[in-house]
Amino acid sequence: MRLNTFPGGIHSPTFKEFTATKPIKEFPFPSRVVLPLLQHTGAPLSPLVKKGDRVKRGQKIADVEAFISAPLHSPLAGKVAGIEDYFHPLLGRFPALTIENDGSGEEERKDPLCDIENKDPAFLREWIREGGMVGLGGAAFPTHVKVSPPPGKKIDTFILNGAECEPYLTCDYRVMIERSSAILTGLRVLVRACGAERVFIGIEENKIEAIEKFDKLVKDLPFPARVVPLLTKYPQGSEKQLIVAILGREVPPGGLPLDVGVVVNNVQTAWAVGRMAEEGLPLIERVITLSGECLKSPENLQVPLGTVLSDLVDFCGGWVETPKKVIMGGPMMGVAQTSLQVPVVKGTSGFVFLSNLYEKKEYPCIRCRRCIDACPMRLFPTMLGKFSEYQAFDEARDQRVLDCMECGACSYVCPSNISLTHLIRLAKAEVMRRSRKGGNQ
Amino acid sequence: MNEELKLVITSSPHLRDETTVPWIMRQVVLALLPATIWGIYFFGVSSTLLTILLSVGSTIGFEALNCKIFKKPLSITDGSAVITGLLLGLSLPPSAPFWLPLVGGGAAIFLGKEMFGGLGQNIFNPALVGRAVLLVSWPKAMSTWWVSAPFGFSGFSGGGAASTFSGVEMVTTPTPLSIAQMYGYSSLHQADPRILWRLFVGQVPGSIGEISALFLLIGFLYLWWRGVVHWDIPLSYFVGLSCVAILGGQSALFHILSGGAIMGACFMATDYVTSPISSKGRYIFGLGAGAITGVIRLLGAYPEGVTFGILTMNALVPFLDYLLPPRFGVKKSNG
Repeated sequence: MRLNTFPGGIHSPTFKEFTATKPIKEFPFPSRVVLPLLQHTGAPLSPLVKKGDRVKRGQKIADVEAFISAPLHSPLAGKVAGIEDYFHPLLGRFPALTIENDGSGEEERKDPLCDIENKDPAFLREWIREGGMVGLGGAAFPTHVKVSPPPGKKIDTFILNGAECEPYLTCDYRVMIERSSAILTGLRVLVRACGAERVFIGIEENKIEAIEKFDKLVKDLPFPARVVPLLTKYPQGSEKQLIVAILGREVPPGGLPLDVGVVVNNVQTAWAVGRMAEEGLPLIERVITLSGECLKSPENLQVPLGTVLSDLVDFCGGWVETPKKVIMGGPMMGVAQTSLQVPVVKGTSGFVFLSNLYEKKEYPCIRCRRCIDACPMRLFPTMLGKFSEYQAFDEARDQRVLDCMECGACSYVCPSNISLTHLIRLAKAEVMRRSRKGGNQ
Repeated sequence: MNEELKLVITSSPHLRDETTVPWIMRQVVLALLPATIWGIYFFGVSSTLLTILLSVGSTIGFEALNCKIFKKPLSITDGSAVITGLLLGLSLPPSAPFWLPLVGGGAAIFLGKEMFGGLGQNIFNPALVGRAVLLVSWPKAMSTWWVSAPFGFSGFSGGGAASTFSGVEMVTTPTPLSIAQMYGYSSLHQADPRILWRLFVGQVPGSIGEISALFLLIGFLYLWWRGVVHWDIPLSYFVGLSCVAILGGQSALFHILSGGAIMGACFMATDYVTSPISSKGRYIFGLGAGAITGVIRLLGAYPEGVTFGILTMNALVPFLDYLLPPRFGVKKSNG
């Protein structure tokens, strides 16, 4: 099998054996869910309900008049218990709606979407937005924005991202195996919405079952589609790297895949879109992986948004070892959590519970080039790290610090255990702050 | 699940691979062992082992002393001082006086490394700084080669003194490079038609660890297989040296195989700290170091040019570092 890939990157252990063979279990409706009013990349939402209101499952409960945003729907039938600050897995604390389950199970479903290939793309984009769809790979960028080509730009290729390169995570893999027909429905909606002529499905070769499954299924699609087996390498699932691996095109600095005529969507996003087309349910549930050596019974779970992490840990049987770190997302780009009270949000691909802190003695940089070889964006992380350390932010900007997507490969390989990604993150923040102020100071 | 957890918060990534600085340093020492053992075997334990041990002891000792003087945490455990000492010791002539490695080690650590701020900060390869100090201060001691009689070159100036060490008949001998510089390569080839083969396997006198191309290359291949070094600098070094040798009307292979060229190209020019991080820069660095080595050998006052060839290019590294690859997404796209 010829395997596509991108230059750079790292071969870390995948740790997928904890959950790769575990079928998706549906998590029972919790007694309450907590829904932060910002679950996507973009503008925060305003609630459409108030304390004491009764809501149905699938009912829209928050929205905002902004292009880069996606509305929020209630994953439960119940009562709005309050709107107040609560733990947020990325933002620390943020205003959130709490909904208490009343057990009635009342639902509000949209009509199934049929005759997809004859729908107006603009209608489909609005339909996608109304479903609250965002990228479920982790970045949670609103999907309708991703499938809206700017005026004058033509989208020729749609890439379905089934790479799932983050260690530990297997939710996309399980979705590909167990929810494949809904994925294809969603794919048809997304392709119609963006106007692409052909489709590639990128899957890392360690997910052989998914590759074989889609190899068979793509033949029935109404447009040319092909599965592209990818080398198992991190960050293969990064949009820009996936486009390089499959098409050899490079997204310009600060640009989007749209700039090279490509739309990339995660397989789980396609599943969520397909599910809405088939069942009329908006984005109110997603599949996540709970994994790590600390967990008694690691699982792939289909959970309602807003489910609190401690409930999920109980479902997985608690600890075999007390975790020292709890990470939302994978261990390469995920965010360390301060509390088990955080809720699942749209961008939650999983939680990983680590007892190994990977402590390594720190040494001065010996200029070994490992970070340079690992950087998928052709940056010199060691140089950027030094600029950051010495607060030489203008030099960092001139040496393309903003091209960094913080994949973490440089920190991972550094034999001196220098936190390069962290230093670069600091420099990026400062460079952006200065450019907003429109000058140097 | 409501128990209180003491959670560690750091920014991503939360995984690290296992490679550490001391591991890398150990690989380099391992890679130098074949050539070291061959040198000890060829010249005899009595004329080599003490030199090597004193050299390694000196670099470790001086680094420890430096840490004490400047109240820095003891840094000798990172393993870099061992490599500096080993490289220096291997670049000394057999039967060198005992103070030569001691002074060289001091110069390497103090002048070459610690004055710049220690590991990772130095501009020049410390072992080469030590060697350069010895070369310019005691040229005689650095170029007197006591070897067991059958391996010497007789009939060329610079050889002839005889002595007996531990029962073995020893003579001083010129090196092939000095013969080639003074009399031309052809007269050397006349004197010894199998010179290239003898240089390759390591039967021609030279510095302790530099004589066997074979064992040095075995060590280098090991490092390459381990992912510790890349072949870009050695290759471009040999290309640079070969070009100058051919322009000078001499055998390129002879110049690659003799003196410290292989040791320099594979183990000194590839030193992480003092070679460029930019890929383009590394080719320029290797080409330049090889070419300067050749020019010194053919035209310079010294028969050997590896030391100053690499040191000169070391000085250009801060500039070469800025030769970045094309920016992602700016290069013309295709597909």
